[in-house]
Amino acid sequence: MAIADVAEYAHLTKDEVEQLGREFDAIRAEIEESRGAKDAAYINKVITTQRWMAAGARIGMIVSSPFPRARKPVLAASAVTLGLAKILENMEIGHNVMHGQWDWMNDPEIHSSTWEWDTGQPAEQWKHSHNYIHHQFTNVLGVDNDIGYGVLRMAREQKWTPVALGQPVYNALLAALFQWGVALHDLDLEAIRKGQKDPEEMKRQLKQIAKKGRNQILKDYVLYPALSGKEWKSTIKANATANLMRNIWSYLIIFCGHFPDGALHFTEEELEDETRAEWYLRQIFGTANIEGGPLFHVMSGNLSYQIEHHLFPDLPSNRYAEISPRVQALCEKYGIPYSSGPLHRQYGQVLRTVMKLSLPNKMTKDDRPPTGADITIEHRRKAEEERQIRRTELGGWSRSAS
Amino acid sequence: MTSSVPLTSPPFAWPHGSLDKGKVVQCALSRVCGGCGTSLGRPIAFLGTTEEVDRNAFHAPPLHEACARALRETGIAGASVVLTAGFEYVRPTADALDRRPTFVPNSIIGPA
Ligand SMILES: [Zn+2]
Repeated sequence: MAIADVAEYAHLTKDEVEQLGREFDAIRAEIEESRGAKDAAYINKVITTQRWMAAGARIGMIVSSPFPRARKPVLAASAVTLGLAKILENMEIGHNVMHGQWDWMNDPEIHSSTWEWDTGQPAEQWKHSHNYIHHQFTNVLGVDNDIGYGVLRMAREQKWTPVALGQPVYNALLAALFQWGVALHDLDLEAIRKGQKDPEEMKRQLKQIAKKGRNQILKDYVLYPALSGKEWKSTIKANATANLMRNIWSYLIIFCGHFPDGALHFTEEELEDETRAEWYLRQIFGTANIEGGPLFHVMSGNLSYQIEHHLFPDLPSNRYAEISPRVQALCEKYGIPYSSGPLHRQYGQVLRTVMKLSLPNKMTKDDRPPTGADITIEHRRKAEEERQIRRTELGGWSRSAS
Repeated sequence: MTSSVPLTSPPFAWPHGSLDKGKVVQCALSRVCGGCGTSLGRPIAFLGTTEEVDRNAFHAPPLHEACARALRETGIAGASVVLTAGFEYVRPTADALDRRPTFVPNSIIGPA
């Protein structure tokens, strides 16, 4: 739908939209001005804690190997600790550092250009598919690959085919193997299926993914198990458990940020000449928060404040909690929805969408505000050539073109 | 560290001689260099006119230091280079006469 068709938006005049934009600008300016030593201490503390957790877990797996009686409990504790360390590294540290949230510190290591994270996807490809495509074209059908990750049908506008019947199974597989789903994210599976992907760029990306993936596998399934001697098999199991924990958790947080019923989908046309205030609004409409305690927020990389993150993707994540009530108050003041709920409720809605959209539209009822009467993605793509030009500009495969 | 990747010709964010809006956004968000299109380094360089330096807001996207120096020679976006660790990406407002996004270095290291 075009943003002007959103019922909760239609009552705002152009001036009111711009006024709301200025109120968000003021929040942004305030955080930028007060950003400093306290914030730097926070991220340094999180990184130190994460490293001790990871090191403790790896050491636990190695030193417990000659002691049969202690092995089981130490291994279990190590697996869980490693899983939590990976979650912290991917969510609160890696994701946020790569957004440039901490670049202002001028730290040689904690910088968007140097951070490489503990997961299958190369940082460079993440910065393209996530920071750019997902954050610029948030919930825009046919562009934002986060809508179903190229595997699931998550919007009624996406054409139904019998392949969708398997969605409940694909969904479970995507959750369990999420790091590899993310690793393939920037390849743009849909473009490959349609034969629109530049083969040279695909080759370059695949090589990068293979290298990163190999290093990840070597570390967790060869090197550290080898250090456990005869107990290598149980160390492999422990590392697989840690990876599974991280995969399911990050899948949950990411899916709950954009697929609960309150999050809307948009079409490409409305992006042209969008103002900052309109951009803010589209971010709010396309996003949903998850409620929880302080530890929950840290472990979710503060992506539980998904609305605040989408409004201000490059402000330090530790500040989202303090601006959240202000954002919520502004939404109330201007009569626009602020979609938020506990994890079980948000995920319940996500799962319902996965199930429902495995069937043709006529067999199910829409749970979210309708995204436009009879738009289908196929329908929307009037001219393939026009689209081709557009997508080249989008990048991903643009480097080799220039 | 500054990489020595060569500029593409034409420069990545200037595919037709002038700044391309889509490429500028891409550079800003995926944190790639407007000169060569590869991942940015640290520090980040901005190329602009003296007015842009004075008001600390640039139209040209972030660059590698080496790419900024090379682009300075072409006169494509001004003669001053500023080095910074980070920057704010500022989208245009409805009342702005100039509807191009700007970049505000937020941790300036110095001129180059
Ligand atoms: Zn460059």
